[in-house]
Amino acid sequence: MPHYLKIELLRMFRNKRYVIFVVVFPVVFYLLYSNLWGSEVDQATGVKASVILMVSMAAYGALAASIMSSAVPWAQERQSGWLRQLQITPLPGWAIITTKLIASMLLVLPSLLLVGLAAVLTQHVSLPVGEWFGLIGSLWIGTIPFVALGLTIGSLLPPDTAQPVAMIGMFGLALLGGLWFPVDIMPSAMKSIAHVLPSYDYASIGWNIVAGDAPETSAVLGIAGWAVALGALAVLAYRRATIRA
Amino acid sequence: MPSVDVMNAIAFNGVTKKYGDVVAVDGLTLDIPVGSTVALLGPNGAGKSTSINMLLGLLRPTTGDIKVFGNGPDEAVTRGDIGAMLQEGSLIPELTVRESVDFIRRLYPDPLPLDEVLRMADLTDLAGRRADKLSGGQTQRVRFALAIAGGPKLLLLDEPTAAMDVESRRSFWDNMRAYAAQGRTIVFATHYLEEADENSDRVVVIARGQVVADGTAAEIKSGVAGHAVSFRLGSQPAAGLDALPGVSAVEIQADRVTVRTNDPDATVEALYRKTTLDVRDLQIHGADLEDAFLALTKES
Repeated sequence: MPHYLKIELLRMFRNKRYVIFVVVFPVVFYLLYSNLWGSEVDQATGVKASVILMVSMAAYGALAASIMSSAVPWAQERQSGWLRQLQITPLPGWAIITTKLIASMLLVLPSLLLVGLAAVLTQHVSLPVGEWFGLIGSLWIGTIPFVALGLTIGSLLPPDTAQPVAMIGMFGLALLGGLWFPVDIMPSAMKSIAHVLPSYDYASIGWNIVAGDAPETSAVLGIAGWAVALGALAVLAYRRATIRA
Repeated sequence: MPSVDVMNAIAFNGVTKKYGDVVAVDGLTLDIPVGSTVALLGPNGAGKSTSINMLLGLLRPTTGDIKVFGNGPDEAVTRGDIGAMLQEGSLIPELTVRESVDFIRRLYPDPLPLDEVLRMADLTDLAGRRADKLSGGQTQRVRFALAIAGGPKLLLLDEPTAAMDVESRRSFWDNMRAYAAQGRTIVFATHYLEEADENSDRVVVIARGQVVADGTAAEIKSGVAGHAVSFRLGSQPAAGLDALPGVSAVEIQADRVTVRTNDPDATVEALYRKTTLDVRDLQIHGADLEDAFLALTKES
């Protein structure tokens, strides 16, 4: 199984779509936005925009990585017969989905770390060590519901449909969750949608941490609830996709 | 007490597979001893692929029982006893040939050495190439390599040469025979008669989900007495040819019609005397494996 994991990581690092959307985009947008607004200060918390944008873009990158590295590759493997190729080896069925989950979560790390590094190097962002660990750790673990969503999409849809659905899901969650624009400037209808989305809970945990606050319980419960619900859905969808008639 | 199954690589016992009302495999009973190379020969839809997928545990029989080296298919797969090249399948585009083959072989408890697998599939020179840069025939070679990488005792090949040109086919069968020579059991499905004839030591003819003939290619040929009368039909109607004396089947290919008969003299006589057809370029052939095959698999 370690070898399977290595293979999964290797192929994604060679995948242009992954590298562009997931590794390059968040860093480039961070550099752009922080140069424009980085020195502004949030009135409520006193946190500089360069720090808030770091959280937002890292969250966007992680969200994108978790969905992009799971949904479409998995849909393609099912359709192309690669799944069958694996099913007729001694590899147990649970190892496939478990490896996919772990691989997707590891593939989240490059964008998290690179956005953080860009923030430190270009905007001289500095946080207490504990906040760094809390931030990276929570943004990392918090991708579980998004990986589960990606695997669900990949299990249920053929690649042609999984591709647009994953893209819409990814940008929808990012936009409505306030990763691109602050939720506070949204119209009230959109605002209420934003507040129930896992992406909002996810990013707000990060924003709280960099403001020196403890994450809100509602956000932690929200993301945990989404993780359980989407995780269960992913397992059901995986069973359906690999059923032996 | 050792059971009889232990002697068999494969034992189908009264296996039926239904999809709704459609019966894909109909009461199949078949034993394949360890070390033999067997061709499953049959037209499309005969139940060959369904049978192979049931051997791999990818499909479950509706009724009946399948044993692979005395175990159920799932256990045989888990033990790494089976390798297979299924009909469809592509590779992970971003991985090289070597990476894909090595990944699959490491999943097995007792795999072949990587270099040996690459050599046996004629892939040594392509080892560093990415899967998305391979031709169709090269991809098939990689899929063969994936099937043998784990050193399985039983190799299943479902129409393995479908995407290959003539030259690739020849070397493919050479490679398969080299693998078989190591005492392994091989079952391949094909609808190419020459392939079955040249590459197996036993041919099992399957039609409508049942075994309709089982033996060496020579035995199957001799079991069906039959001749073929063919001539150029052009645009004339073929109606009524099946009513001529001795005729068992009529096939039309392009402007040529072939009439299967067990009495070519009577058929030809009636053709000239009792029809008004303008018969050109008439040929009469003796029975060959193709005739036998067609006679056996003809829809009843």
